[in-house]
Amino acid sequence: MNRPASIRTAVEARLARRHRSERRFQFYGAAAICLAVAFLCLLIGSILIQSVPAMTTWRMTLEVELDRQTIDPRGDMSEASLRRGGYNAAIQNALRAQFPDVEDRAELRELFGLYSSVNAARLLNRVVQDPSLVGRTVSFTLPIDDDADLYLKGVSVRESRAPGPAPVRIERREGRAVSLASDTAVFDAYVEDVREVARERARTLEQRALRAEAALADTIDRDIRAIYEAEARRARVQAERLRERLDDGAPVVLGPQIPSLLIQVSGAVIRITEVSADRSSAQGEIVISAALDEAAHADWTLWTLETPQAGRLISDRQIAWADALRERGLTRSGFNTELFTYADSREPELAGVLGALIGSVLTMFVTMLLAVPIGVGAAIYLEEFAPKNRITSIIEVNINNLAAVPSIVFGLLGLAVFINTFGLPRSAPIVGGVVLALMTLPTVIISSRAALKAVPPSIREAALGVGASKTQAVFHHVLPLAAPGILTGSIIGLAQALGETAPLLMIGMVAFIADAPTLGLSGFTEPATVMPVQIFLWSSAAERAFEARTAAAILILLTLMVSLNAAAIYLRRRFERRW
Amino acid sequence: MVRRYWRRGRPECAGHEWLAAAAPEKIMQITVLVALTLLVLTAFGFLTGRRRALAVRARSGPRLHSLPNYYGYYIALWTGGPALVLLAVYGAFGSGLVNTLAMSQLEREAAPLIAEFERQLDSDSDFIALLEEAAEAETDALEAREAITRARDAGLDPQAFQAALAGHTTRLTEIGARLGQRRADIARTVAARAPSSDAGIRARSGFEFWNSPRERRELFLADARAIAFGEGLASRNTPELRAAALAMRPVEDIFRYSVAALALSMAVGGLAWGRSRIKASFRARNRVETAITGLLMFASVIAILTTLGIVFSLLFESLRFFASIGWRVGDFLFGLQWSPQIAIRADQIGQSGAFGAVPLFAGTALITAIAMTVAVPVGLFSAIYMSEYAGPRVRAVAKPILEVLAGVPTVVYGFFALLTVGPFLRDFALFLGYEDAVTQSALSAGLVMGVMIIPFVSSLSDDVINAVPQSLRDGAYAMGATKSEAIRHVVLPAALPGIVGAVLLGVSRAIGETMIVVMAAGQGANLTANPLESVTTITVQIVTLLTGDQEFDSSKTLAAFALGLVLFVLTLMLNIIALRVVQRFRERYE
Repeated sequence: MNRPASIRTAVEARLARRHRSERRFQFYGAAAICLAVAFLCLLIGSILIQSVPAMTTWRMTLEVELDRQTIDPRGDMSEASLRRGGYNAAIQNALRAQFPDVEDRAELRELFGLYSSVNAARLLNRVVQDPSLVGRTVSFTLPIDDDADLYLKGVSVRESRAPGPAPVRIERREGRAVSLASDTAVFDAYVEDVREVARERARTLEQRALRAEAALADTIDRDIRAIYEAEARRARVQAERLRERLDDGAPVVLGPQIPSLLIQVSGAVIRITEVSADRSSAQGEIVISAALDEAAHADWTLWTLETPQAGRLISDRQIAWADALRERGLTRSGFNTELFTYADSREPELAGVLGALIGSVLTMFVTMLLAVPIGVGAAIYLEEFAPKNRITSIIEVNINNLAAVPSIVFGLLGLAVFINTFGLPRSAPIVGGVVLALMTLPTVIISSRAALKAVPPSIREAALGVGASKTQAVFHHVLPLAAPGILTGSIIGLAQALGETAPLLMIGMVAFIADAPTLGLSGFTEPATVMPVQIFLWSSAAERAFEARTAAAILILLTLMVSLNAAAIYLRRRFERRW
Repeated sequence: MVRRYWRRGRPECAGHEWLAAAAPEKIMQITVLVALTLLVLTAFGFLTGRRRALAVRARSGPRLHSLPNYYGYYIALWTGGPALVLLAVYGAFGSGLVNTLAMSQLEREAAPLIAEFERQLDSDSDFIALLEEAAEAETDALEAREAITRARDAGLDPQAFQAALAGHTTRLTEIGARLGQRRADIARTVAARAPSSDAGIRARSGFEFWNSPRERRELFLADARAIAFGEGLASRNTPELRAAALAMRPVEDIFRYSVAALALSMAVGGLAWGRSRIKASFRARNRVETAITGLLMFASVIAILTTLGIVFSLLFESLRFFASIGWRVGDFLFGLQWSPQIAIRADQIGQSGAFGAVPLFAGTALITAIAMTVAVPVGLFSAIYMSEYAGPRVRAVAKPILEVLAGVPTVVYGFFALLTVGPFLRDFALFLGYEDAVTQSALSAGLVMGVMIIPFVSSLSDDVINAVPQSLRDGAYAMGATKSEAIRHVVLPAALPGIVGAVLLGVSRAIGETMIVVMAAGQGANLTANPLESVTTITVQIVTLLTGDQEFDSSKTLAAFALGLVLFVLTLMLNIIALRVVQRFRERYE
């Protein structure tokens, strides 16, 4: 009487457990798909976000005076003479005219660091094209240096501005030095900030010392003990030194390790070098001068650059200048057309993907020309003509295996055979194209065979029935019907080749190439690089501005690949026939 | 033997003045002109054949055997075919032939210098002393090696002998360097003796070429060609190279013009011959179709040729590498230290064990293992969900998304691993209190590679799970199994061989993957199992050896090919096993 009930409850409990496990299993599956989708979103999203700074660029427009003597040194207006002109000097003069009080050589170098001298070549080309510009003043727009560009975009430097809390008197000393004095502790907030940063660092140092000491207690090995001991001692000493500097009675000397302080007052910019102990007065030097009267200034700004100078590649002065240029309306932010119209460059602001795009087009042209006819031919032979014998089956197994050979091995093949044995030029699109063609060949063959196989035998039989030869049946009837499938497979193979990097590294397409190759017959043997390799090169470049440009180049490459794949899908949808 | 080995010295390093070469427009023009003429002739041949066939039909009674177009194709084949083959052969081998002829001429002119050099080498007391010392050290090393083998055989600890061997090896390396130095000195004095006249510089050019080891010769030839014909950029520009370039030009000109003339006459001859054969009874279609079939067969043979090319180039260069490290293949495959930077040159006798590839294999295995722990569960579960649970709508969305993951270029994954995943993992490890975390770690490369492999595993598993017959599932349901029980106990065991095949293919892809590891895994050859350290892989080292800004030294280049051979063999075995397993699985249910 009791037993059936207990069986029933046991079965029900078991059933519930089985259903729970069923749901859990289903959840795992859904979670796996969600995870894959999340990975994709993360990948695309992070690249999109990283590429944002590369979408726009800051350019400055200078009124450059093309003085006859500097531009035309021989004085005969010939092209040879114009090419020897001092264009960089002309640009430098135009920039100096903006900041007349910069005289020191080191400071001048800093000022000229706001643009790259490669721009002089652009000015030269403009003058050579239109010699009537000589002797006139032209307005010349050039992209600003990448570090200044990142600053103006607000990416690389954290800064804050606050109105001066009380009037301040400014007194000029000899040279560019000035002293500032006020009745109240106007620099209090800044000093507190600096102290806070220093305290934080002292705390981390002490923690590190503690950790090293703890590790020391656990260690027996003598050498390792020595390392820990030294580490602990070093951290202690540094922390103590910091604490000493935090002492209230001492003046604060500004250095590269702590946030910088600039003062803006009626058009002038003063860089503070020392703040007195009572926090009401400071010493500084003028960066951008303006007429300053002796009376107290009520309207002034405390401009703190919270990223210390050691943590950025742009100096305090350059920031002040870049900011002044922006205030004067000489710099403007616009869409980064340089990215599309220039080839590679060492200067990030002048680097573009044009050269790599042309290289990719040339390489893909060679790949297409070889892989598609050979692949389709091989597929037709294997599917329609080949006798079913040992050799054919060897070829088939071989093609399947070739499809899974790592791409880098094809690069080694290209290096050993095409470059070392046949003596073809390194880094050339023709070699890259051949290597990629060999790599995509199996893909094209396999997809073409599938397309040929999908054509029903009745088509062949009908053609043969009305008296066509085997070749005629294949070329006149089967091939046209299989064409959409073959085309789709070929396009997908080409898209795969377009994104391939490793084999091209082997054949030397990894060199820095500043000129875009010619989009013509001679371009096939000129040194070139392709989009994925360009991405690889930029991703290992040191300048931070290349990071965003790499992401932007990736977006361009992905757009190309997506459009190729979309074309393949469209063709499949448009022409596909189901039998 | 030792002495002959030393005849090939190494010349001083090339300076890197990149000089633009003269514009090579003429070369291009002639080849293009000939090719265009051939095209015109071929078209003309087609038209002639067609017209002649039509004329034959109009004139006489008997019907043509084939359609008129086939006669056209026939003549076109005879016109264009042989000439184009000739041009292709010239394109492939012409430059090599020109180089050989020009340089052998220069070497003949350099014969007095060479004789003088040999005489000086033979009479130079320092050199002879060094050679004797080298032979002695070689004998000592040989003895030490034998002693080690004997000690091993006897079950003794060979450590003492190993230390002695290392000492001999260092000594050999040192002597080798001094020998090379001495040789270069003698070569320099001999070369300086040649007059600075044109003839003298030609002789010097031939001497420099004769005195260079193989890869230097290739560089020399490439530079000379660059100066002569503007093929690429010359790495330097010396009087010797210019002399070689001048010697090449006339030879090249003769070849080019004679090949052009030969190609054109072959085309015209072919046209005439084809034309003479056209009669009403001529079976043009059969001939043309045979030619087409031959072409198609050739296309499918290219795949075989590619495989053969891979196998032979890798084997050949690897054999040269093993020869350069003294045939100690075991040291390469099982050595624990990989540091090609401080390695020996091809022309040194002494060898150090710096080409031990085990750290590379271990790094590859570590990253592959991490990648597969990501890819297998995610890929397998998504395949199960898509084939068993998902409705058509989910499938229509999820499958393309997974395919997109497969289509993303690997360099993009590398960038993602380097700038997003790597820093994140490092910060996370630092946050957890692991102090030595680095950005380029095995973990970040492995994780991202796992993401890349998910679609391979999932789409292949999806196929095999779908191939399991529905009757098996129905049987399980009839027994009262839930869906997940049917999958776990019936479908998955049935599909297991196919899934294993899919995983093996994934492993082979992970081993051969290059860009992600090059960018995200680092360069240091650490022998470690700690995924937070940076490791290096086979592919990374191939790239580093062949592209890095270190000197382009022959042993290192060849080592890359040996690694390539290992990689090829490894992936090939995995592929063969995987394809075989999947094949078996398919056969079982078809």
